[in-house]
Amino acid sequence: MENFYKRWFKILVIPAVILFFVVIIIPFIMGITYSFTAWRGSYFKGSENWWGALVGVTNYIKVFRSEKFLSALVFTVKFTVVAVIIKNIASLGMAMMVKKVSAGKGFFRTVFFFPNLLGGLAMGFVWSFIFQNIFSLVLFGGESAIKIPFLCDMLQDPNKAIFAMALMATWQSAGYMLLIYLNGLNNIPDDLYEAASIDGATPWQKFKNITLPMLMPAFTIVFFLTLSQSFKMLDENLALTSGNFGTRMLSLQILLSTRENIPANYGMAQAQAIIFFILIAVISVAQVTVTKRKEIEA
Amino acid sequence: MKKSMGTKKKASQIMLFAVLGIIAVYTVFPIYFLFVNSFKSQKEIVASPMAFPKSWNLTYLKSAAEQIDLGPSLFNTLVITVVAVTVIVLVSAVTAWLMVRNKTKASQALFLIFTAAMLIPFQSVMYPLVNLMEMLGLKNTGGLIVMYCGFGLSMTVFLYHGFMKSVPISLEEAALIDGANIFQVFFKVVFPLVKPITVTTIITNAMWIWNDYLLPFLIIGNNDKKTLTLSLYYAKSLSGQYGNPWELIFPAVLICAVPILVIFIFLQKNIIEGIAAGAVKG
Repeated sequence: MENFYKRWFKILVIPAVILFFVVIIIPFIMGITYSFTAWRGSYFKGSENWWGALVGVTNYIKVFRSEKFLSALVFTVKFTVVAVIIKNIASLGMAMMVKKVSAGKGFFRTVFFFPNLLGGLAMGFVWSFIFQNIFSLVLFGGESAIKIPFLCDMLQDPNKAIFAMALMATWQSAGYMLLIYLNGLNNIPDDLYEAASIDGATPWQKFKNITLPMLMPAFTIVFFLTLSQSFKMLDENLALTSGNFGTRMLSLQILLSTRENIPANYGMAQAQAIIFFILIAVISVAQVTVTKRKEIEA
Repeated sequence: MKKSMGTKKKASQIMLFAVLGIIAVYTVFPIYFLFVNSFKSQKEIVASPMAFPKSWNLTYLKSAAEQIDLGPSLFNTLVITVVAVTVIVLVSAVTAWLMVRNKTKASQALFLIFTAAMLIPFQSVMYPLVNLMEMLGLKNTGGLIVMYCGFGLSMTVFLYHGFMKSVPISLEEAALIDGANIFQVFFKVVFPLVKPITVTTIITNAMWIWNDYLLPFLIIGNNDKKTLTLSLYYAKSLSGQYGNPWELIFPAVLICAVPILVIFIFLQKNIIEGIAAGAVKG
């Protein structure tokens, strides 16, 4: 029996391994190597091959001196912090309400989930219209009776744009995160709450001492997903602001950096891409380790 | 006493319902916009963006369909999505199943590499990947499919791996004793048992591939094999030098969203349950 599976494993795992190596592992190794060379995309400057064009850490030094990269890094971090907080609060709040409401549960779940399926670029165009025309002219500015300057011209100001982008990103993904939280909530046994009620616990005490600790596994997943989603966001950034007015995020920076210099410096772009990977890997591993530890404590 | 508890409960239910209702309206609001503004001229969109159109004029939808090359773009996107998702699901399910059944060092190491690779963002490999694809003569639709398969694998294998553990090995043994071969065991015994996770992986992969902008942009660019999202991007950026051509953007976005809308309406129950199932194990 074991031999049977073993034999077939060796054969049937081949397609996955080939795909995986061609698409991810080989380009990943190439990428690390090329980031130390004078790579120009289709050729290496001053050499036939990559080992002749090695330039040491020059690309990395250039990256850390590049104002565009540094400002994209700062903006991405700011956006990620805001977006993760808003997405988590919104989806947990919505999940708790959907759990409690006695009618229309399925309807609400479905409606909230729907924006997930729509494209970030396509809906980003629609949202840019909403921010420019509806928010700025109809609802909160222009002729409107309620004037909220913060909600006007959000896409032309880096600080407001963080919230505009977070608003759209939350609109898109809250329904998905809600499903994960709802699952977590449904797994909490009712008798815990009943016992707490008998002991005279307040709603806040119940939330803090029962709901939150019991939700840690769901929280680990949602936190992981929202963190990497926000840090890597590209389509919404492109559609809403095109990265103008100091709102460029790292993904867009890596994409545009080969289009802004002539000749395009792919070596330097690749160095940014490697730094991007390291940041994501470190943040994700740290987050999962910390929240997992909390799970065990709880 | 009991009665006041009841009314209190009722009041809080009404509150809850109202708040959820407001959030639901907020969620639907952009889609409402998208819909009503797809039938208006540029002037009408800017003058009365919230209102219903004066007449349900199909001119703008027609011209948007022409500008994004609807027929070919839709066909390309469909082929890419269907082929890539089919390959991802089959390859990942088989791989994850055999990984679970094989407790060897090689199999465990492979699983670890697959899982760790989820941390590699697309942006970190895209330039060398495009380079490699060019060398292999795959800077085309076929190459695009290969790349989606490679990127879809990690997450999908991971999801299946968690689920395959719950498939009882005794069922497989029974089938094998009855003379079934490995493919029959897989398709008749294992695959039907993991259907919930198959639904999840189909949706998450299809959603992402259908809507993806970056990979087609790098591989296809502005030539005649564009996908829907890519056509939309070029239609917008080429006609948008003098402000945004809303009378083109709204109907074009609507056209891109309609196929998803139709599928969602038919499969909503499966989709919601599938995502929930994936979330527990993932």
